[in-house]
Amino acid sequence: MLYSKMKSNIATRVAGRIIPVLAALWLLVSCSQPELPQLAGGTLLPEARPLTPFTLVDDHNAPFTQDSLRGQWSFAFFGYTHCPDVCPNALGALKRVETLLEADGVTPLPRVLFVSVDPARDTPDTLAGYVAYFHPAFVGVTGEDAELKLLTRQLGILYGRSPDSSNDKDYVVDHSAAIILFNPEGHYQALFGIPHDPQKIAADFVAIRDWYEASQ
Amino acid sequence: MKHKWILSLFLALWAGVANTADTLEVDNAWIREAPPAAPMLAGYLCLENRTDTPVTLVGVESPLFEFVMMHRTETVNGMARMLHQDKVVIAAGKRVCFEPGGLHLMMPAPEKRLLAGDRVELDLLFEDGTKRHITVPVKAP
Repeated sequence: MLYSKMKSNIATRVAGRIIPVLAALWLLVSCSQPELPQLAGGTLLPEARPLTPFTLVDDHNAPFTQDSLRGQWSFAFFGYTHCPDVCPNALGALKRVETLLEADGVTPLPRVLFVSVDPARDTPDTLAGYVAYFHPAFVGVTGEDAELKLLTRQLGILYGRSPDSSNDKDYVVDHSAAIILFNPEGHYQALFGIPHDPQKIAADFVAIRDWYEASQ
Repeated sequence: MKHKWILSLFLALWAGVANTADTLEVDNAWIREAPPAAPMLAGYLCLENRTDTPVTLVGVESPLFEFVMMHRTETVNGMARMLHQDKVVIAAGKRVCFEPGGLHLMMPAPEKRLLAGDRVELDLLFEDGTKRHITVPVKAP
């Protein structure tokens, strides 16, 4: 009698300890985010950063704002058309990324934006011809310097006329060479530094997209 | 005897002149086909110095371009900048390549757009006053 009471007391105490632990574990597993993806070269912001407002213009002279980034994944590179080396390299790499993703059956394909940080020389019309050369779906974006800075400062993208530049016509522009990835909410989700390896960027994009979709 | 001496001096001088421009190996030269709206073009090439003395490239000229500048793309802390190079030294026995993301030639796009398959005449100018003429294809990478 005494023995069986003791036994049931122990059983109750053990159950009293184990059940909350099991419950906590179950809660943890069922509510936790999927594991962060392993990336080949990109840097993921696990907490994507929403953007504060800016107003730029696309290569069809239509307004381009933080809301224009919503609804699809977008890659963005910041450069200028007088840039003969780094910018064609980056846009060529992004063209290859799109080809690789297309071959992998990724739909919809992420959009590619080329943001000119040289609005004094790059008009929307100039940009339209420039980006279409790389891919008909690429979008050129530019705007007033103050509005460009509203966007770039949120992304850690820096740019400025090089002190080496000899005159007002032939100046060169120093600029961050990172490719930025925005998620379909239009939030800053990841960046890809130099060198831009199309295979790695394509693989990272798929990993980030799958992780994002599993987190929703 | 005197004639022989003059002849050897002449040969030595001639060899000295030939040294830079003619004994340098130039390969992998190309100009990147650019978008219609691109105001600037980039050119690339490799130079291999198989001699035992350094060779210094001080400029590039072409009848097709208003100017050709030697630039180096440098990326520091994610920031890309183009640095003008007055000269590029190819040390004895070394190979120096102008290639995407590094050293490159920068020139303004001519009025008539260059397309893949076109060929461009360039002169490489060396510090000792010699020149090397090369014909460079335009390519779309």
